[in-house]
Amino acid sequence: MRNLEMAFVPLDLPRPPMVLVGAAEFMAMGFRKISVARKAISTAMVSDSIANASISIAAKDFPRKKRANRSAKLKQCKLDARREQWLSQVKNKGCKGEPDASVVVDAHNQRGQSIENLEIMPREDMKVESVHPYSDLDSPSNSPTSHTSIALGSSTVSGTNFSGSSGDSSSGSSWSGSVTGEDEEGDDECLDDWEAVADALAATNDKKEQHTNSSLEEHIHPIDSPPELAHRPASQIVTLCPKPECVEKVQMVPPTGRAWKPDDTFRPQSLPNLSKQFSFPMNSGRHYGCGGVTWGSNNAPSLPSSCPICCEDLDFTDSTFLPCLCGFRLCLFCHKRILEEDGRCPGCRKQYNGGPIVGEATLDGGGLRLARSCSMVTRS
Amino acid sequence: MQASRARLFKEYKEVQREKTADPDIQLVCDDSNIFKWNALVKGPSETPYEGGIFQLAFSVPEQYPLQPPQVRFLTKIFHPNVHFKTGEICLDILKNAWSPAWTLQSVCRAIIALMAHPEPDSPLNCDSGNLLRSGDIRGFQSMARMYTKLAAMPKKS
Repeated sequence: MRNLEMAFVPLDLPRPPMVLVGAAEFMAMGFRKISVARKAISTAMVSDSIANASISIAAKDFPRKKRANRSAKLKQCKLDARREQWLSQVKNKGCKGEPDASVVVDAHNQRGQSIENLEIMPREDMKVESVHPYSDLDSPSNSPTSHTSIALGSSTVSGTNFSGSSGDSSSGSSWSGSVTGEDEEGDDECLDDWEAVADALAATNDKKEQHTNSSLEEHIHPIDSPPELAHRPASQIVTLCPKPECVEKVQMVPPTGRAWKPDDTFRPQSLPNLSKQFSFPMNSGRHYGCGGVTWGSNNAPSLPSSCPICCEDLDFTDSTFLPCLCGFRLCLFCHKRILEEDGRCPGCRKQYNGGPIVGEATLDGGGLRLARSCSMVTRS
Repeated sequence: MQASRARLFKEYKEVQREKTADPDIQLVCDDSNIFKWNALVKGPSETPYEGGIFQLAFSVPEQYPLQPPQVRFLTKIFHPNVHFKTGEICLDILKNAWSPAWTLQSVCRAIIALMAHPEPDSPLNCDSGNLLRSGDIRGFQSMARMYTKLAAMPKKS
């Protein structure tokens, strides 16, 4: 549009001298020139406003989409950061001449302090941001490495941060709060599925944005990558396992965008082993009756862990339930079903004699008494 | 029904695990239906069924294991307690002596035991039962061995 208007001006100029024109027409032509110039200015402004409008519309639309909300949040963060930057520029007009990273840091600091009033976090912000722009400027082509440096920097920060358990929550919340205090929904959505999008984001989105964004946004970028990192501690606190995941996220970024393999040499020692977790005594203990047949059969002769009839796990009541003298154990459910049918013990094929109560009356066995009491407990 | 499914699944896993534990029994589950099983049992040694491989078909009811599975021979066998035409088996543990503690594997063992020790007093195959009851052990053994060779052994050209 602007080019078109500029093309009109030279067209207008040569025409008047050729044709005999009066002063009025010349004046009119001059006026037209002015108007053309004004029009050009106005169109430029319009295009700017259109661009702004489109951005704002996009910013409004994006949070609705679940899949793209991560990038939307980033963009919103950028917009917010830009707004903040302009505001801060207006504020500190005398101090900062150019929209540098320092200005950004300043703006970010101000916001963080004004919102959260925490002394620790702004300092960390400064640290991270001071790391980031250098790496960004030095090697804009290979963003993963620059991100590695960011990640490492923030990991050192957050690592020291997370060593103290009491400081975790406050610092984490301040991280996220200082950045996303303005848009709540974006924050919520981030908490929703940050885990799912984190890998792809770290690998692709940041890279893309770094390459495609304007120089202004490059300056802003240092701000919105700390938010991205800053969200993680907060959500990790929500998931109650802050330390390993934080480190994991940070390390996820560099090589492939994936977590370590269990035998990875770069994997920190402090990380809990997944295989260990899966073979955790609590988990396996609960399921070995059905899952691990070897376990069940090994322990079966003394005390079966699962009912031999229905293969359901024996709970405490079932495991103390001894319906027959032969020692054949089964769950109360199967015992009831057998009583409804033929009422014979599956182990010895003898009649259950009307249940364990009669057995207790005829015999003075502690186990039978236990069985009776337990069955009473379950029935009551 | 759910209990029977869980139970059969456990038995399936047990069978997979102990495939080589009992070389006389090969128990395989139907690919699509866990209530249909097939078994290959070897004829016990020192019996007329020695050297033969007999196929059994299991049809497991939904009340399993409270109800016994229905088992029949798919391979022709000359045995007093097996119906010669239908392959039906007269075995107390498959009828009234069934116990939920039994498994398909143990049923196979019981059938092998039945092949080794026929019970001529409750015959499904009257010819075979009559031979045994009349004391014609040699006649019974020759008949049984003949049918084993005819039906349960790989054909020789």
